[in-house]
Amino acid sequence: MNHSPLQSAEAEALETRVGLLLAARLSDAPLPSDITERLRFARAQAVARKRVATATTDWVVSASGAATLGRGPGSQGGGRRWWAALGGLLPLLALLGGLLLIDHWETERQIQLAAEIDALLLADDLPPAAYADPGFLEFLRTPRE
Amino acid sequence: MATEQELSDFLRSVDKRAFKRVVYAVRDADAALDIVQDAMIRLAEKYGDRPASELPLLFQRILSNATTDWFRRQKVRGAVMQSFSDFEGHDSEDPVDLLDTLEALQSTEGTESAADALSRNQLLQIIDSEVQKLPPRQREAFLMRYWEEFDVAETASLMGCSEGSVKTHCSRAVHALARALKLKGITP
Repeated sequence: MNHSPLQSAEAEALETRVGLLLAARLSDAPLPSDITERLRFARAQAVARKRVATATTDWVVSASGAATLGRGPGSQGGGRRWWAALGGLLPLLALLGGLLLIDHWETERQIQLAAEIDALLLADDLPPAAYADPGFLEFLRTPRE
Repeated sequence: MATEQELSDFLRSVDKRAFKRVVYAVRDADAALDIVQDAMIRLAEKYGDRPASELPLLFQRILSNATTDWFRRQKVRGAVMQSFSDFEGHDSEDPVDLLDTLEALQSTEGTESAADALSRNQLLQIIDSEVQKLPPRQREAFLMRYWEEFDVAETASLMGCSEGSVKTHCSRAVHALARALKLKGITP
């Protein structure tokens, strides 16, 4: 059976009214005192957990700020968050700088080593071209008596 | 961010309805108390930093999840899913005039005499027992929509279904309750 939109809307409004009245009766029913007491205890526990969670978060934020930047818990709100973010970024920057320094130092060391070998070869009586000669290489490999 | 006082006030405003809603689902007062307590603690620990206005929806979602977890732990989920299929087949029952039910309910409002109080208590018990008999999804939709007073969109989001399904569940629940009241002789 088809209903017009108006009839559907009226039917829906009637259902909602009846539904709300029925549900209102449910709310009237009192709970036993032991249940209400346990619910009160549950509420108190939940609020205590929130207190602990909030305190832990504050401690972590202020500790990280103080450890990395020497800032104490005196810093406030957004400023504290900003310093904490910077505190987390600083070790990363230090690590990156360290890696670049190590790379630069290693390259310098290799260049210096190559220069020393070149200098020794050029200063030696033996010409460098001798090392390309197969006979001379065979002579070097032969154990001396 | 909700203050401790706001959280406490919010929990006080929802704890009894939350308990009854879970009792309807799990039919065990002790288990229902544990579930409500778990939901409250989860809300406080994980979402205590959210604004107070977000708490109602978050709490209902946590409560629904906690109830589902309980069913999983009890390994009766199969039985629950089975009873979910009970939705269909109610349309063939006798139609009921909701206007009669509305009149009957309104006639018990604001009554003062002992006899009226008795009939009001009986009505309350009948409604309570008939709500328990509703199929789970119908009951969930009915309680969220008319008891918790969430709108259709919020109820659909909490139940993970379409708004059309919520309207259907609610309509069937209201008609089922009206039919039950009529059968018990609650008429204007």
